[in-house]
This record gives sequence, C-alpha cells and structure tokens, in this order.
Amino acid sequence: MRARADIYSEQDSWKRPLIWSAGLHGILVASVFIYAAVMGGVHGEDWGGSSSGGGAMSATLVSKSAIPLPRKEVQTENVLANESEGLTQSQPKQVEQPPPEAIPIPEKTVKPTKPKPSIDKSKITPPPSNVVPYGESGPVNAPTTMVNLSGSPGGLSFGSGDFGARYAWYVDAVRRKVSENWHKYEIDPNISNARRVYITFDILRNGDATNIEVEQSSGVPSLDMSATRALQRIDTFGPLPPGYNANKVSVEFWFDYKK
Amino acid sequence: MKILRTAILCLAALLVVSAANAQNDWIRTGTGLGQEKVRLAVADFKSSGADPRTNPLIKTFNDTLWNDLDNAGIFDMASKSFYPLQQPSTPGEVKLDAWGNPPASAAMLAFGNLGVVGPDVLVSGWLDDVKNTQSPIVLGKQYKEEATEPNARLIAHKFANEIIFRLGGGVNGITESKIYYISKRSGHKEVWAMDYDGADQHQITHLGALASLSPRISPDGSRIAFSSYPKGAGLEIMMYSNELGRMVTFPRFGGTNATPAWSPDGTKIAFASSMHGSMEIYVADASGTAPRRLTTARGPDVAPVWNPKTGAQIAFVSGRSGLPQIYTMDADGSNVQRMTDQGYAVSPSWSPNGQFLAFAWRRNYGPGAPGGWDIYVMDIASKQFIQLTHDAGNNDFPTWSPDGRHITFQRGGNGREEIWTMLADGSKAHALTNTGGNSQPSWGTK
Repeated sequence: MRARADIYSEQDSWKRPLIWSAGLHGILVASVFIYAAVMGGVHGEDWGGSSSGGGAMSATLVSKSAIPLPRKEVQTENVLANESEGLTQSQPKQVEQPPPEAIPIPEKTVKPTKPKPSIDKSKITPPPSNVVPYGESGPVNAPTTMVNLSGSPGGLSFGSGDFGARYAWYVDAVRRKVSENWHKYEIDPNISNARRVYITFDILRNGDATNIEVEQSSGVPSLDMSATRALQRIDTFGPLPPGYNANKVSVEFWFDYKK
Repeated sequence: MKILRTAILCLAALLVVSAANAQNDWIRTGTGLGQEKVRLAVADFKSSGADPRTNPLIKTFNDTLWNDLDNAGIFDMASKSFYPLQQPSTPGEVKLDAWGNPPASAAMLAFGNLGVVGPDVLVSGWLDDVKNTQSPIVLGKQYKEEATEPNARLIAHKFANEIIFRLGGGVNGITESKIYYISKRSGHKEVWAMDYDGADQHQITHLGALASLSPRISPDGSRIAFSSYPKGAGLEIMMYSNELGRMVTFPRFGGTNATPAWSPDGTKIAFASSMHGSMEIYVADASGTAPRRLTTARGPDVAPVWNPKTGAQIAFVSGRSGLPQIYTMDADGSNVQRMTDQGYAVSPSWSPNGQFLAFAWRRNYGPGAPGGWDIYVMDIASKQFIQLTHDAGNNDFPTWSPDGRHITFQRGGNGREEIWTMLADGSKAHALTNTGGNSQPSWGTK
C-alpha cells in the first residue's frame, strides 16, 4: 500500500538541474576571469600598439608624436579667482524695479571721511610687460625632462645651466637607457603606490655613471633598490657631447611608482 | 559540460597570450631594444660633384646606410615617402620645421653629401636634432677613402655606427662586425666569413678536410678556433690566425675534441673532449697547453660558453640526466645548476651583458611530439624563458651580436641550412645567406 508520495525516492530528477547549475556557475566564473584577462591585456598598448612586436593590426600611418595635441592643461594653485576677461560676454542683469507700494528704508547718516592723499602716479614704475601674476604661471621652466617609466611618470634634471636645452638628444638617450634598465619585477608586488623617489648621480666625460645615491627615499626599500640597480646596471650612457666642456654632469632623476 | 570545457580553454589561451606580452617586455628591456624608439629620418645623400663615378657609389651608400639604421633595432624609421621635397645636403639647407612636422614627424635627421674627388670619395654626413632649433647639429663627420664600392659601404657602416653609438646610449653598433660560419659551397665544409648584413661572403680556410665545425672567433678578432678532422686523427681543435692568414699549430689531444669557446679576455679556451674517456668540458690556455678537466658527472658534457660579462661562469650542455639540457657552472667547475627542465636543449650562447642565455630547444621531444626546434632566450636570474622563433623549420646555433640586440642562427635542415638574423626579441627575422648550405654562425666581437 503506497498512499503517500516519497519525495526522497525521486533522486534521478535532481541530476540534470544540478549539472546545469554547476555548468552555468562555471561559465559565470570563467567569464569573470576572461573579462579580467581581456581588460588586463588592454592596459598599456599591447595590441596593435607601437610597442607590440608587429601585430596584425599595427597600421601606424601617423605616429603619436605627429598628432599636434594641445599642451596639457596645468592646474594652478591660485586660491583667488582669476580676474581675466572671459571670451564670452554676459548679458547685463535686468534691474528689478521695486514694487510701487514699498516704503524706502531711511539711509543711515554717514560720517564724512578724510580725503586720501593722492599718489603721484608718475613715480610708480610700471610692471614689465612679461610679468606673470602670482599663481597664474605654469610649472617652473627648469631644464627638466618628463619621463615615463613603464607607466610611471618621472623626470630628469641635468645639473644647472642649459645642458638639457642644448643636448636634448643626450638627455633623451639617458632617459631611454634608464627606463630600459629599470626592471619593474624587482619591486615588491604588494606595493601599488609609493612616494616619489629621487636618485642623484654623475655622468663622467666617458659616459660612466658614478656617485649613485638615493637622495630622497620613497619609503619602499624595494623601489629604492630597483631604481639604484637600474643605474648600476648601466655600463655607460655614452660619452658626453663633444661640445660640452665640463668633466661631468650631475643628474637628478625621480619617478612616481604607480602600479 | 562541453560549454564549460570550451570556456576553460578560452581562459587558458588568454592567460598564455597575456603572459607572452609580459615576456616581450622584459626581453626588450634586457636587450636594450627598448619600449620606445627614436623617430629617425634619413635623407638620401646628394652628389657634391659631377664625376660619373659618383652615382653608383651614392646608391650603394644610401642603401647601406638605410639598412644599417633600419636593422639597428632602436630606430623608428620615417618612411621616405613622407619626406619634404627639398632634401638637404648641408646643414644650412635644413628646414627643421618641415622634418619635425607631420607627416615626417622625425625627431632626428641624418643627411649629407658624397662626391668623388680625384681617386677618392669624400663623404660629409650630419645628424640633426630636429626639435632643437638653437643648436640642432648632434654629429658632423667627414670620411675620405679610395672611390670603390666596398669603401662606400664601409663609410656608410661607419657613419651609421656613429649615429647608433650616440643615440643608443653609448653602445657601439654592429655594422662593422663580421659573422663566421661553416659553408659547404666549395664542396667541403670550410670556415667562411661575411659582413653582419650578409655582404662580402668569403672563404677563410682551405683545408679540404672531411668537415669543419663550430668556428669561434677570439674576442680580439685575431684567431678563429674550430674543430676539424686532420689527416689520420679524430675530431681535433684547430686554430686559424686572421693576422697571419694561415693555420697555426694547436695541440692534438686524441679522442674527440669539439666546440671550442674563448674566455672573454681571450687567454683561455674551453672545449669538450673525450681525451680521457667520456666527453667532458676542459679548459686550456689559448695556446692549448695545460688542459684541465672541469666536469666529472656521468654522461657527456659539451658546448661550453663563457659568461662574456664576468668570465666567471660557463654554460654547457649535459646529458647527465638523460636528454641534453642546458647547465651553468662556475669557471672552476663548481656550483653546477640546471637551467632547462624538459625536452632536448642544445647550443647555448651567453648574451654580452651576462643576463640571458639563448639556446635551441625542442621542448616536447619524441616521435610525433608537437613543436619543432626553436630558439629560446632565458633570463638566467629568474629562469623565465621566451620563444623567439615559431613554426619555421629547425632553428639551431643561436649566437648573440656584440651589442646584445641581435641574434643570428641557422634555419633549415637536411644539409639545406641557411643563416638568419633577427632582433633579440624575435622580430625582423631575415636570411643572410641563401645558397649552398651555411650553418653554425659565430658573431665576431669586432
């Protein structure tokens, strides 16, 4: 006599839905990984970019430097409003007529003020025409080259004087050589952000780098170490430009590490 | 379940692709090929005289200069079709704006003139920093040689070298270097030499012997060590003097002696020998005296190469664990370390900066196994490796260029090998020889 339905005996019907569930969950997890891998691969310019080793899509008719992009907007730290005239002109505000029944408030009596002594305007020297109001200039125009080390911004400044301007090609070669020899895998993988690290060194007449020192630490030992190693790894930067008279040039080199 | 399996396969494929990209990064940074290249325009040199001999020389010169700079691996060459119509021949004629702006968008410009004066060819060449309007001239050079085709090529090589040296961070270019190799064009396997770009291929030895193998040029370029079969003996180390232009004596040890390799200072030679039974690595003075055994393990040890940077380590091939694998050891034979973990790995070559080993590897070895003989580069410190050749027959005998930016190797099999060259990241591979069976290249350091 089987009067009641025994649901535990119907085990067979569970198998298919379970497989489907497991399969769909698996696809869901896999698609998350695929998405992460695809997005991870898109970072930088791996596919079809100029650094990729000749992918099928790297049809570069116009190089990046060829596009005359506008200069990057510089954020000034001026707390005051800039009073320069804008390009657009605002409409004069309509003067609101007071309602006729309003009773005017009697004005306060004002104390008579002493007249200010007039300033002899001829004695004031006019400001030079090229003066830049405080806080409205861009960054200081020092002989500094911006560098980009595998995605991390950095800079190089060459001693004092106009070395950077006269021998821009040499500064460029130094920059390339440093970034080529900087191995990011030496940095602690747990670090994603670090303070700016400053390294100083001298380039001798024959191109050797000496006196490599960490001027200001980033607080991350492995980052300081990798930057120092990058410079130690370099045998030579190539002899200093023939027209340059001094025996060495001092270089300050900094970068911000960002993962 | 099928869907799931497909998804997992897709995932695995993606991971492999992204890993390969990351590997490309470290090989480039390590070999000085760099992430970014200097955009360089090379205006055709102009004739500065009316001599009829000028024109063929100018063509040779311009072609050679362009190829040298294009092959250097550190330049992004601005295509000639983008150049301004007015091409300069002296610094006064250069309009920097026209070169720096699109479409040429060059950062650097090489230009100059060539003329034949009396018996000589006179070349003036300049390199301008296009972005620097104040003092654009980076380099100005003058050359004077006898007016011949080889000299036009030589001057182009020298001028290209100067440009590579300046813009490549003080690393000498390889345009004047030579590649030594084995060719059987004469009917026997003899030692031959050619320029780095495949020009001027000529025979060095005339032994008429059974076969010569594995030539190695000494670091100062004065001698070539190789192995061959002298009359009535087995395979022995032989020595050819480039300065004297003839063979010089080298002791015979008996047994089989092969794969000589020079120490970086040129005072010692490492080689594989079976003079005392099994094949082991020995080190002798450059004259062949006082050979000293370094390896003692069972199984053959062959193909030693020195770490060119330090001279303190030797990489070699050993069969001590079965199939041949790459090992390293200190120069006194201690501290042996295995580098490859599977398959069949031979022909190590140590990069000039000491950081990498290039070698030929069949990772899946056995009948019917997938994959072929390919060139790999391994970072010695991390043992990461990257495959440089893909699906292109058998590739073997990689050897590094002195600047560490190029690798030359042998491709093909069954007696139809030819010598190829590529950048050290595997790009720009092209053949240097195309006839007669050429193999086992060795890149001279000078």
